[in-house]
Amino acid sequence: MSAPTCETPATIDADVGIVGAGPGGMAAALRIAEAGLSVVILDEGSRPGGQIFRQLPDGFVHANPPAEPPSHDAGHDLLHAISGATVRIEQRATVWDATPPRGDEPGRLWFEQGSASRLLRCKAIVLAPGALDRCVPFPGWTLPGVITAGAAQVMVRGYGIKPGARAVVAGSGPLLLPTVTALASAGVKVVAALEAAPRIAALRALPGVLRSGARLREAMFYARQLWRTGVTLQFSHAVFAAEGDGCVQRAVIGKLDREGNPIRSSAKSIDVDVVCTGYGLVPSIEIGQRLGCKAVWNEARGGWHIEALSFGATNVERVFAVGEIAGIGGSEVAIAEGHATGAMVAGILQQRPVLSALRDRATSVRRAADAMLRAFVVPKGVFSLAGDDTIVCRCEDVSAACVRDAARLHGDSLRAIKMGCRAGMGPCQGRMCTPNVQAIATRGSCQQWDEPVAQVPLKPVRTQTILSAPTK
Amino acid sequence: MSGDLRIGGIRRGDSVEFTFEGERIVAQKGETIAMALWAHGQRVLRNSSRDGGPRAVLCNMGVCYECLVRIDGAVVRACMTEVENGMSVLRGGKP
Ligand SMILES: Cc1cc2nc3c(=O)[nH]c(=O)nc-3n(C[C@H](O)[C@H](O)[C@H](O)COP(=O)(O)OP(=O)(O)OC[C@H]3O[C@@H](n4cnc5c(N)ncnc54)[C@H](O)[C@@H]3O)c2cc1C
Ligand code: FES
Repeated sequence: MSAPTCETPATIDADVGIVGAGPGGMAAALRIAEAGLSVVILDEGSRPGGQIFRQLPDGFVHANPPAEPPSHDAGHDLLHAISGATVRIEQRATVWDATPPRGDEPGRLWFEQGSASRLLRCKAIVLAPGALDRCVPFPGWTLPGVITAGAAQVMVRGYGIKPGARAVVAGSGPLLLPTVTALASAGVKVVAALEAAPRIAALRALPGVLRSGARLREAMFYARQLWRTGVTLQFSHAVFAAEGDGCVQRAVIGKLDREGNPIRSSAKSIDVDVVCTGYGLVPSIEIGQRLGCKAVWNEARGGWHIEALSFGATNVERVFAVGEIAGIGGSEVAIAEGHATGAMVAGILQQRPVLSALRDRATSVRRAADAMLRAFVVPKGVFSLAGDDTIVCRCEDVSAACVRDAARLHGDSLRAIKMGCRAGMGPCQGRMCTPNVQAIATRGSCQQWDEPVAQVPLKPVRTQTILSAPTK
Repeated sequence: MSGDLRIGGIRRGDSVEFTFEGERIVAQKGETIAMALWAHGQRVLRNSSRDGGPRAVLCNMGVCYECLVRIDGAVVRACMTEVENGMSVLRGGKP
């Protein structure tokens, strides 16, 4: 899995190409390989596992590994199975363009790997590119030391590095719990853990948790960890601002009202050197859109996601979507959907019938996840945390005032607003700021707006990669 | 922040040496540029092009492009690029 050498062919062929070696992609690959088909996974990371089953780099060994949540057993099983299977995984491979299979024409996935420009041709494509952290801007959030909840987990679990000495974790949704746990296991003092949703959200989420045995065990594990670390989750609270000279030295925290608006009179300052922020996840849909897959809006699933029908099928023939790209749902959903879709893809290519039980399981865990995550839809008021000069688009340094002005001028089109203020025109291609531009421009009503558009290259790659890309 | 932020009790890869803005940094093979620098208390990876403000790792998974640095004229994401012996890394400017 090292960088390709001169002998590495630029173009490779397989029955099935998969984007993403997270739980969804791995489960699908196993089913497809089991059926005797050739399958290649393209993954940007340096090791398989995706966001959740993150491993330390090769050669790192934990003498005393911290306790892991029950969901990670499934991850170890998948990683073990995939290392013994005939699945080819291309790591450090960034997919930057794609076309779907049509008739006898293969589908194509163009990727950059090191300095090589390569192409995978395949009869069917499975998309499992996961999701990214949702950030809500607040004054001072560009200071070094403000990181996403995911970033904190990657530091600790992926590299064995402490984000800092004293941290506050703030945001919304179930992912705050693994973040607090990871920080505490690393010896970071978690000064406060703040959930923006009201306490009632935990009760509302309960039926969804109870519907899945695995999720219940997971919740109990984290409840125990939290109790052990002595951290209590404060509901209806948020970080109002981060402050410091050149890096984070303090955070201003306080209460939110029912709509999520900050109650300024409750604000107090705490000494921290890290602020971990995460308001849930946003599906990474651009590769699906590029292939022509339909996106739909569902707040409980993180906003825009690719519409996956039965067995992960999309509206585009022989293009499938599993896991977070089909809506935020967590690892249990990604695995169940991966299995169902993998079996279906093999079934289609080999013209065999597929067990409906796999689909039924995927549908049932997805429903349970929806029921749980509905309780943690981001309260609209938190978007008023951004003051006029708070930066919303970090690539282009566009302030909230500019976004609000552009919204007044260009009213009802997200695209026009973005053009008007340059938000989303930088290298992250609007991945981080688009949901915030939308929420701030609509004053938080988050009404459904024009679908975001995928740009090519899907991720910034070297010009040379594009110029030297295999064309066939 | 000073000192080494590496968590104890982990056996790591071989040592790798690179420079950041001319300063010699010892890292562990397998670490990314961003993590090796973070462990040394060096968070600032670039300055914003407008207000010149310091910027650092935000997502740590290759999505936000806040961590852009320069190596031999090429602009790369520090959180996705592994350290190599002899690398000479400079702060990025505008992403
Ligand atoms: C940092 C983080 C921590 C999380 N922790 C938990 C947790 O503790 N419990 C839980 O239930 N859920 C957690 N989640 C949610 C998590 O997304 C899911 O549980 C699960 O990992 C989803 O699986 P997936 O297969 O859909 O995607 P992922 O696991 O996200 O895998 C997607 C893979 O695709 C790759 N990829 C994306 N785009 C491209 C491209 N263009 N080219 C090549 N490769 C690409 C990525 O590098 C990644 O390896 C976490 C999410 C994040 C972001
Ligand atoms: S920190 Fe976000 S891309 Fe590197």
